[in-house]
Amino acid sequence: MLKTPLSRRNFMQRSTAFAAAVAAGAKFTTTPAHAAREKELNILCWEGYNSAQVLDPFRQDKGATVKAESLTNDPTMVNRLRAGETKIWDLINVNNPWARKIMAPEGLIKPLDRATFEPYFDKMMPAFKAPYKWAMDEKGEQLIGMAQRFGPYCFVVNTDKVSRKTAEDQGWNLWNDPANDKKYGVLESDDWNVFNICCIAGFDPFKVHNDDEVAKFTETAKRVFKGAKVVGDIATMNQSLVSGEIDFHLTGGTYSASPARADGAANIRGITPNSGPMEGGKGGIVWIEITSPVNNPELSPLATEFLKYVQDPKVAHTVAFAEGTFNPVAQMGNKECFDLFTKEELDAIQWDSLEEEVARSVEYDIVPDYDKLLDIMTAAKKEASAG
Amino acid sequence: MAAPHETGKGLSQGARNALPLMLFMIIGFAAPLLTVIAYSFMPPRSFGLTRAPTLDNYADIFASNSYISFGWSMLFAALTVALLALICYPIAYGMARLFGRWSPILTLLFTIPLFVSENVRLYGWILFLIKNGVLLGTLKSWFGIEPESILFTPGVVLLGMVYVYLPFMLFPMTLGVSMVPNETREAARDLGASRWQVFREVELPLSMPGIMIGLLLTFVLAVGAIAEAKVLGGQTIIPITHDIEIAFTYAQNWPLGAALAVLLMIVVGTLVMLVLKRFDLDAILGKR
Amino acid sequence: MPEGPNLLKVPKDCMSKRPPILQLKSLTKSFGTFNAVDGIDLDIAEGEFFTIVGPSGSGKTTLIRMLAGMEQASSGDIILSGTRINDLPANKRPTCMVFQSLALFPHRTVGENIEFPLKIKGIDPAQRKVRALALLDQLRLPPNYYGKSVLRCSGGERQRVALARALAFDPKILFFDEPLSAIDYKLRKTLEKELKDIHRETGKTFVYITHSLEEAMVMSDRIGVMRAGNLVQVGTPNEIYSSPKDKFVSEFMGDVNVIPVSMNGSRTITADTFDKTFTVATIPQAFSKGHLVIRPEFVRFVTEAKEAENVLEGKLYNEYALGSRIQYQVRVGENVFIVEKLRQHSSTLRRDQTVLIGWDAKDSILVTG
Repeated sequence: MLKTPLSRRNFMQRSTAFAAAVAAGAKFTTTPAHAAREKELNILCWEGYNSAQVLDPFRQDKGATVKAESLTNDPTMVNRLRAGETKIWDLINVNNPWARKIMAPEGLIKPLDRATFEPYFDKMMPAFKAPYKWAMDEKGEQLIGMAQRFGPYCFVVNTDKVSRKTAEDQGWNLWNDPANDKKYGVLESDDWNVFNICCIAGFDPFKVHNDDEVAKFTETAKRVFKGAKVVGDIATMNQSLVSGEIDFHLTGGTYSASPARADGAANIRGITPNSGPMEGGKGGIVWIEITSPVNNPELSPLATEFLKYVQDPKVAHTVAFAEGTFNPVAQMGNKECFDLFTKEELDAIQWDSLEEEVARSVEYDIVPDYDKLLDIMTAAKKEASAG
Repeated sequence: MAAPHETGKGLSQGARNALPLMLFMIIGFAAPLLTVIAYSFMPPRSFGLTRAPTLDNYADIFASNSYISFGWSMLFAALTVALLALICYPIAYGMARLFGRWSPILTLLFTIPLFVSENVRLYGWILFLIKNGVLLGTLKSWFGIEPESILFTPGVVLLGMVYVYLPFMLFPMTLGVSMVPNETREAARDLGASRWQVFREVELPLSMPGIMIGLLLTFVLAVGAIAEAKVLGGQTIIPITHDIEIAFTYAQNWPLGAALAVLLMIVVGTLVMLVLKRFDLDAILGKR
Repeated sequence: MPEGPNLLKVPKDCMSKRPPILQLKSLTKSFGTFNAVDGIDLDIAEGEFFTIVGPSGSGKTTLIRMLAGMEQASSGDIILSGTRINDLPANKRPTCMVFQSLALFPHRTVGENIEFPLKIKGIDPAQRKVRALALLDQLRLPPNYYGKSVLRCSGGERQRVALARALAFDPKILFFDEPLSAIDYKLRKTLEKELKDIHRETGKTFVYITHSLEEAMVMSDRIGVMRAGNLVQVGTPNEIYSSPKDKFVSEFMGDVNVIPVSMNGSRTITADTFDKTFTVATIPQAFSKGHLVIRPEFVRFVTEAKEAENVLEGKLYNEYALGSRIQYQVRVGENVFIVEKLRQHSSTLRRDQTVLIGWDAKDSILVTG
């Protein structure tokens, strides 16, 4: 009567086989090839280094297979190495404190030859002169990575709605004004949100926090997420700013605003507050990426080659304007490199105010009680979602 | 001639032949699952399976407000499934019975979007719904009306989920409806049944296998949905999958994420089993 | 061949006196320019077992689907007990159909299937069950089948369930769309007889369609032979059997000897393909060309030409045992003849032996067309 009886058992079997195939497929793709590693290089990085513009010339020049995986937060990348992926990766590109304070002491990365690589620092902007703090281990003896992209990262406003001056003056208190409820978004960048909620709450994020501060943090996190109109990625934030869904958003700076600015939305601007709760009354935070060779038992010889390659003025300019995000690079200290930037490009990365913004900022650092604060913030987010 | 059962060798011919597939299943399916389960018993924020097992993660979850995320996931999955059932049945009926040679074209139209990444499609919705976007922008410039943007609200999350999971309800349902022998409909009608009675007494129960597969499939998928809430909802709601993602990424608390995943599997698995027990597919097909 | 006595018992005299329960007037069903049913006129009497026979594509299924209300008639009238029912949907017609596939509800038990029309009518479960059990009994199914899944029933049991379900509806007319066609021979024979018994027990009007004239012969009061959307001949099984209207009808009856013949100037009938003049009983008016039909059981082996009115010489090609009968193929030149004998007339005939076959004038029929 029923020509094609489809029994549950049958269906389940098929589904299971399918799931197994998918799971197995996923496993195989992450399995490293144990062939000779002369001609292969694996890079774990922030968005930008994985772009074809950066990698293709290197691939062609070396005849090498270069794989790059981009992630959007430091802890994940570091934990990938902790979980045993040091066997896979050759280079890791994360923000400044992780190499010096975490990965080097844990033996996850390898030092570089100072004689070969320190001369590159001399061609960078003055602040990066060797020995550059974040490129060195804690004892200041070993060179553990190379600097390139950097940028202030606090929040972004639509200057048509909130002027740059108001935003810089008001600073983190923008989020303490109930009138701004539902006028802002929050970038889904939870590590940075932890820092920034500390700033809104009125204390320095990069230290151990006392109970009062934790309580203040809890209250602030709930308030910030409850008042947020949208939490999302960089594209969502920029789109929401441009369309007028929101007036400003927490967590952001050149890294996130530059694509919109390059697209002609000059009213989207990363803001570094004039003052704030950080050491010396500074209001901003700046990140500097450090790229380090991974402590891979079979480290590809191309790792150091790649580090040299990206120091080239032309390549450095490409890195600065790799697809997805545009950022200042330390190599702009070299006139040969700087001259490659057009007026529009300098405008996109807010070159006009870069120096003063960096001067008003402290450098990104480890939050000792990050885990606890993040859990509080995650819970606050959920609570906000319950209405 | 050799005896078919060489008991000395331990394994029958069938078992030996099945071995490669069994190994494949164990490595590909069971192993990752077991790893997740094992991780859920590791101390919080550890990155290996060598530590002494503990129930801390589960205790943490029950002490936390994770029930909110579970609630959102279940609620939105249930709403999605309910809406999809109402939307898809008429389309499935049409595709199986009415549209004839247009059905393959329609199938193609419903299938093509699947070749585009889900995130891209959801961003398409953002461009459509955002302030000054396709919809509101057009309304503003043509009619001068400026309604409030509905983007980043729970309603839009539901819209997105219904949109994304529609094919997964539609195709099993269409199969289910087309499995109903046409003569049983005619016979029921001939025996005096009104159209509604034909639907209730014959059509619906006989297409139930397809409908149940559609319901279960979309429910399981919808419980695992994350992108809709993140992209269209602007995280105004946080489903459990997002919670799991945070645990595995920003929080770097793999054991917590694993425990959440295990709990989700238990909840969904139990629900699915209950439904299957209540609506045994074999029984629906009359194979009792 | 089905034997006569079974058919002859039906009291035909009262048939014609009864008022027609169903009247078809110029009933037509067109699909585009093609007329699947092409202007049929027919009266079916109350309580009659009427069978429509035709090859596939003759329009018989379309016809019965129109009668049951599953197809809309293109033109003409369907009149049930004096009322035109063309526009009445299937569920409003007091008729019921047993489908070729039976169309049992696979998700229901035997009992639930039988009770379906009662449930639709809103009869309470206790009464439904009483009726269902009575029908099980009437159809020779044990009462414990009430709770059995229909998927676990055998082919014959399913036939009975389908019939019980239709009877539960208590229709004025029961339509049958070749329900026995997928059943093996032996069971089919049994069910044919059972169906006829149930017809007698219920006294309902049965309208049955089949492609098997043999099946029609066993059960029917009257038979309508259908070809290309038209009824070629309507009559009792006897009439159809003994006086087929044309070659189509006669051949439909199974193996039969058909000789293309013409009438020559001297009012004698001669074969078209070989040299032979036949003696026939009657020549229809205005006959000029047609066929001489002789049923194989009327052809016999003879030893001398004078033993039969028509005798031909041929060669025995082969013999086939058909249960109680034996069939012989005899070739007269290029022409094939079939001769049937009862088995006890065992013979010493050998292949390729020259034989004489013959028949009497009264046993042959001359048909036009």
